[in-house]
Amino acid sequence: MQPTAGIVLAVVALPFLAAATVPLVYRAIGERTAYFAATVAAACFALIATQFGAEGTVVFEWIPAFDVSLSFYVDGLSLLIGFLASGVGVLVFTYSGGYMHTEPGKQRYYATLLAFMGAMLGVAFAADLIALFLFWELTSVASFLLIGHYQDESGQYAARKSMFVTVSGGLFMLIGFLLLHWVALDVAAVESAFRLAGEGSMLANADAMQTALQQQGLLVPVLVLVGIGAAAKSAQVPLHIWLPNAMEAPTPVSAFLHSATMVKAGVYLIGRVRPLLVTDEWVLLFALLGLVTMTVTAMLAVTASDIKELLAYSTASHLGLIVAGYGIASTADSHIGLLGAETGAFHILNHALFKATLFLVAGIIAHEAGTRAIDELGGLRKDLPLTAGITAVAALGMAGVPPFNGFYSKELLFHATYVLAEHDGGLWWLLPIVAVIGSVFTFLYSIRFLMLFFGDKPDELGHVHSPPWSMRGPPLLLAVLAGVVGLGGVTAAFGVHLGPVEEFVNRVIESSLPTSAEEPHFSYYLPTKLSPWLGMSALTVAVGGVAYPFYDSIRDALREVRDADPLRPNWYYDGATEWVDANDVGDLVHNGLLRTYALWFLGGASLLTLGGYAAAAVGVPAFTSFAVTPAIGIVLVVAIVGAAAVTDAPSHVAGVLTLSILGFMVAIFYILADAPDLALTQLVIETLVLLIFLLVLDKLPAFYGDSERWTTIRDAGASLLVGGTVAVTVLLSTASSPGIPSYLEHSLKSFFIERAPPPAEHGSFLLDSGGGHNIVNVILVDFRAFDTLGEISVVAMAALSIVTLIAMRERGETQ
Amino acid sequence: MTTDNHTTVIARTVARVVFPIIVVTAIALLLQGHNLPGGGFIAGTLTAAAVGLVYVIYGMDYLERELLGRAPSAPFTDEAGIDREYGTLVTTGLALAAGSGVVAILFGEAFLTQAVWFFHHVPIYGEFEVASALAFDLGVYAVVVGALLTILAVVGAE
Repeated sequence: MQPTAGIVLAVVALPFLAAATVPLVYRAIGERTAYFAATVAAACFALIATQFGAEGTVVFEWIPAFDVSLSFYVDGLSLLIGFLASGVGVLVFTYSGGYMHTEPGKQRYYATLLAFMGAMLGVAFAADLIALFLFWELTSVASFLLIGHYQDESGQYAARKSMFVTVSGGLFMLIGFLLLHWVALDVAAVESAFRLAGEGSMLANADAMQTALQQQGLLVPVLVLVGIGAAAKSAQVPLHIWLPNAMEAPTPVSAFLHSATMVKAGVYLIGRVRPLLVTDEWVLLFALLGLVTMTVTAMLAVTASDIKELLAYSTASHLGLIVAGYGIASTADSHIGLLGAETGAFHILNHALFKATLFLVAGIIAHEAGTRAIDELGGLRKDLPLTAGITAVAALGMAGVPPFNGFYSKELLFHATYVLAEHDGGLWWLLPIVAVIGSVFTFLYSIRFLMLFFGDKPDELGHVHSPPWSMRGPPLLLAVLAGVVGLGGVTAAFGVHLGPVEEFVNRVIESSLPTSAEEPHFSYYLPTKLSPWLGMSALTVAVGGVAYPFYDSIRDALREVRDADPLRPNWYYDGATEWVDANDVGDLVHNGLLRTYALWFLGGASLLTLGGYAAAAVGVPAFTSFAVTPAIGIVLVVAIVGAAAVTDAPSHVAGVLTLSILGFMVAIFYILADAPDLALTQLVIETLVLLIFLLVLDKLPAFYGDSERWTTIRDAGASLLVGGTVAVTVLLSTASSPGIPSYLEHSLKSFFIERAPPPAEHGSFLLDSGGGHNIVNVILVDFRAFDTLGEISVVAMAALSIVTLIAMRERGETQ
Repeated sequence: MTTDNHTTVIARTVARVVFPIIVVTAIALLLQGHNLPGGGFIAGTLTAAAVGLVYVIYGMDYLERELLGRAPSAPFTDEAGIDREYGTLVTTGLALAAGSGVVAILFGEAFLTQAVWFFHHVPIYGEFEVASALAFDLGVYAVVVGALLTILAVVGAE
């Protein structure tokens, strides 16, 4: 089934439109905006559901001549991420209605959250690399705003940190994408070199692309660059440091962005490019990265003292599990690759179900008990019986205890690592061992979270109220879904499979398999036979159960290791940022002085332009068709003398008047060069500028004062650079003629000359000719009227900005 | 602020004579623009220069006090003043320019398609040409005048 173009576009556009209307909606219905947003998310969910089973590309042409289009791709994996973003969105918005009741900045909150949902849906459905990158960075920006929601110091630190890590990771990814694009240009079968998925794309020709990448020696660079982007987004060691700080955000945001959706963007990308890049290097990179992350962050979760911190590390750990799953493959045995893809795909679903639930539970605890410190909580079961039940299902799923949902995907990981180790032998045996160690810690902290509801209730906790239903309903629904997925495995052992879930996961798996691979037949069930990987599961639960009574001493031991400076990525991050602060790097780039910004901006633009010319190896064309007559010569010499005199002007008045010599000489030059329109404009503008200068003159200091020598040299260098760049650009752009456009018989110039004046024989009405003898004006108001419309809009905008800058300056200060 | 105390009688007399000439020249440039040098942009800047001359020679409040016969407004406060009128000029101009393009759509042509009518046997002129582009050019004129005078008023009020 082909996807419907309009619906896919609507899914991505709707949240953005809704975000734009939030200020109006909020004015009308106030706090109930939460339910408006939930309705939008539900509409997106319903629209995505209509595309269930669809697979293919939809393309919206934009500039066909340059092959620029907005294209979306729908398949199992994108539908899964789409369902998560919109489905969890519905629940999180509903939950926010209760949670954000007493919180500040609700308008901004809902607008950003909606825009985030749109960006995430964009990431899920984008079919080309540029769109994917843009939506990807948009999610980072939304996350930045939401983490800094409370605008306190720690929130700002956390927001900056997450922005810094995820956006710079995204830039690495961009370079990887550009390399991919560059390679794709040479692969004949790839029709559109930016298209990642769909017909005639890189993924459709994965084998040819992979061969080309290997021939160019770019496979490993692309793998590493894309891997850094994905790892930064999905909080893989050592780039996981932003995720625990990101818990400064309101809890619904943590549930939505930092567990169920945004952090899934990284694993989504890994799953998406897997058919393209899967090789031995891929296995080495991602299987190791994933398993190390899984184990290290599971240990860190044990050391956590705050329930949200625990969940944050646990999220990183489970993302590691997914990455490891996608990472496991083998060139020799496609069955191993299939197992890996099954692990990744199934765990994305399972993790979203149980982790979003637990975050919402954490929100309830923080909201009702007034604390998030693990040591201060306990015995909540009596006050929050329903929440305790919800937590039991989700936490046991997270621990990987049968028959809860997390068990099945973890079992798949054990299976995949074991088979891979058995196949390749040697050091690969480390993989299953590390997987078991990581899982033991996962078991420990999951049980610790569950025990918040059991045992003795600390006396200082007081009575804990039940939360409103808007806060209980969403986690309940998620927990029921998680429970159903878990029970599906039990019934499957008796032959009754949970058909829709298996079928859906099957289609998600397909997205991550090479085209040549065997058809996946995914089904999961409670194991009925003994196998080594079942033994690994049993070992995990047994060791975890034995170790749990010693939880506190394990935690303290791990904290000692964690706090050793050289082992902390944060130590490096903070050290680097503090070093930058201490060395005034900021002052060099942005010190609040307009001239500094101008210097960096113009200098940078000039250098980039010149670098571009140098890279394209263009030669500066020679003057051929321009003869300097004596009259023009005199005018130019006077102009140059005027320009030189400006630099030596003793006062502002003298400077302005001297400068106008230059302007008027240019006007005379235009007259001599047969351009009366330009000359007129130049004269009038020159006069006007003079007038404006006269108006502001007595506001300025009378003399410039003496400047330091090095400042003068720097400014002279900068002006030479900018002037040189402009000169070269003018020479180059006037020397090249645009050629004859495909829709014209002759060149554009002859078209203008021919069509602007009325033809010799004409009736009383003309439509296909400009009907004016002044070609410049006819171009301005007729042929290129759209450009002119844009220009006058800019003029209006400039006036508006000057009003805002100057006239409203004081008003802004008083507010 | 430049006020009338600073300017000489010569300057004031010359400005008084020159102002109408500049405005008439500007209007002529606007109307002839289709066939001879000129056009909305030039005419707009010239008109702005004429008003700017009044600002420099007679001071910022003169225009409202003497020519419009009302109390000068404090610029860019909530009360209506000359800056508001400049703003209206800008929006009117933008609407006119864009609207002249929309008219073409109503006739089934592409946005901003321009047409020309020729009227024959007009007294004095003989053949007389009316271009729909004139409406567009008027829009350009209004935007340029409005925007430049807004800038002048803001900068002058400083």
